[in-house]
Amino acid sequence: MKSSRKLGLVMIAPAAIMIILFFLLPVVLTAVFSMTNMTTATGISGGVYQIAPNSLITLKSTMPDIAAELAEPRYAIDEAGLKAVEGLGLAPGIAAELRAKHAGEVFPTRREAERMIKDLAERPSTRDVKQISEQFNRSVVNTRFDSKEELFSALDTLGLKLTPEQKETVAQATYTGWTWTTDNFSRIASSPDMARVLLNTALYVALVLTLFNVGYALLLAIWTHYMPPTPASIFRGIWLLPRITPVVIYVMLWKWLAWDTGFISVLMGKFGYPPKNYLLDTAYHAWFFVVLINGFIGASMGMLVFSSAMKAIPKSQFYASEVDGASRWQQIRYIILPQMRWPILFVTCYQTLSLLASFNEILLATNGGPGNATEVWALSAYHTALRNYAGNLEYGLGAAMALVLVVIGVTLSLLYLRVFNYGTLVAKPLIED
Amino acid sequence: MAERSQPSANYRNWPVLTALTIVSLPLLLMYVYLFLDTVTVKQPDALLPSGLTLNHWRFLWQTTAGKANIWQVTVNTLLFSACTTSLVLIVSSMAGYVLSRLNVPARGFFLAGVMVLHAFPSVTLIIAIFIVLQMIGLYNSLIGVILVKAAIDLPLGIWLMKGFYDTVPWEIEMAGVVDGASRFRVWRSLVLPQVKPGIMALGLFSFLSGWGEFILPQVLAPGNQVQVLSVYLAGFLADDNNYDFNMFKAVGLFYLMPVLIAYALFNKYLMNIYGGGSKG
Repeated sequence: MKSSRKLGLVMIAPAAIMIILFFLLPVVLTAVFSMTNMTTATGISGGVYQIAPNSLITLKSTMPDIAAELAEPRYAIDEAGLKAVEGLGLAPGIAAELRAKHAGEVFPTRREAERMIKDLAERPSTRDVKQISEQFNRSVVNTRFDSKEELFSALDTLGLKLTPEQKETVAQATYTGWTWTTDNFSRIASSPDMARVLLNTALYVALVLTLFNVGYALLLAIWTHYMPPTPASIFRGIWLLPRITPVVIYVMLWKWLAWDTGFISVLMGKFGYPPKNYLLDTAYHAWFFVVLINGFIGASMGMLVFSSAMKAIPKSQFYASEVDGASRWQQIRYIILPQMRWPILFVTCYQTLSLLASFNEILLATNGGPGNATEVWALSAYHTALRNYAGNLEYGLGAAMALVLVVIGVTLSLLYLRVFNYGTLVAKPLIED
Repeated sequence: MAERSQPSANYRNWPVLTALTIVSLPLLLMYVYLFLDTVTVKQPDALLPSGLTLNHWRFLWQTTAGKANIWQVTVNTLLFSACTTSLVLIVSSMAGYVLSRLNVPARGFFLAGVMVLHAFPSVTLIIAIFIVLQMIGLYNSLIGVILVKAAIDLPLGIWLMKGFYDTVPWEIEMAGVVDGASRFRVWRSLVLPQVKPGIMALGLFSFLSGWGEFILPQVLAPGNQVQVLSVYLAGFLADDNNYDFNMFKAVGLFYLMPVLIAYALFNKYLMNIYGGGSKG
């Protein structure tokens, strides 16, 4: 008993480790990322504090005075400025006197700073005053600070007296990294684009599922069921081709068929129609091909499941019905279809999940176009997070969209597990020693 | 397949054959022309070829400017699918045995988990793994993609192997255990040979699925050094400057050939998986 358990743990460990590391962890991380506003603009490792023009614009709406103050340059008599003045080659007394009398002082405007410089013992000329005051010009605009503390101490030395709350607001407005937020989910819930994509997804799954994965697959299975073995296996072989062909080649073949230099265009050209891109010219055409492309792949699995289920139907039932004079349609209606209930349910469940999650074919064929006509949820998540026309990849929003799919997938598969009576699947192991 | 109910005299086959041929026509056309177009010359507005040529296969001996070398890419693809396959086979043949035969804690939970995991959308994994790889700076390496791909295939593999182990009569193991062999030894030398069809099926499935995988390498390893054939081909199609559909098709056929050969040789094993026949 003991050794069996230990061996079991050892043998299952690699699978557990791999699944946790490369399967569950990414899903958990997706949930984490979905709670952030991570984009390429914020970066993925933490950010810095920068009083950039656009953060000043945000501040202006909440704290106009402070925003204005931040935008203005200040004149601080500090060591760096004093060193620079010494390097100007003016009378040495100027720098010395500034250091002795005014070090650490901050002047809110240029005029005040210059008045002070004019009053120095050396009486610099107006040209020199301008040159000197320039050395003390300290603007915080476009300066980067690695931490909040650095930002606040810089503001303090420039004489900007802020309350702690104001400081927090400034820090928030000037932070360039990502922050925690639930905005992604409210954006998903409220955006009309998302509603459109959701509708597309529902339409896509419903169409492909009913027309091809179940409907056409059943037709194929029944057709080949009544055929002599050789043509039956030939046709099954043909309909399995889309499934085994790598997706890139498979979609390329459809493009060859439907593009403006493709087969349909050339064929229609013989009848005098100008060539056009049948895949992308209208939304209806795009939908037509998207359903066909995915349907041709999906039909094969249903065909195989249904065929093997039909093979399991006792042949005596067919013979008996033939003796009774049943037509082929009556056989299908009263013998085959009633016994196909479970296979059909299984294929429906399984393929719903596959269709919800798959987007390779649409990505390669139409890339969601024309416009956003064939953009489905998974593809939209991919576009949002990893391949965006605007260039700003919204990792957080994309992760939130992916998480929605995860939730739907898990809910559905738990439901299916119930339907298929999970208990029988986990019957006790055969051997116990 | 031979023992199908034979159609009786009052059923005619030709209407069904015709209908099936018509609906299969698009597929037939595509695959026939895939082959034809790679070895023939065709005028732009013609439907039939006008001459033979090997020019479209020139990518085999000359590298297009700015593109990776085809042989390098092929080796990468082979490496990628072979590594994924071995990983999936080793790990799931062990885990499947445990779930089928041994009593480990949380066994039911694990089995249900495997079922549910199978329904996870791969886009979730891609986004998160992309961000993580960027964070730790391990972007653009083949190893990462191999591990992720293997992890995605694992649930199906474990479930399938469990189904195959379930059909092995337990007397075989009993005999081994009674003769004093350890459980591990029993598994390796007695049980594993019994599930050869399952290993073949899973191995082939895994290889084909790795060979055709597009989105993972595209996102996680797009660099020329680690490029695989699917990414190479997609890049070809997106490149408007060197647009040449016939050469593109030749690359496609080159890429498809191993799949067709494997399928022709082993399709009876593969049916076990594509038919969803993992019920055991």
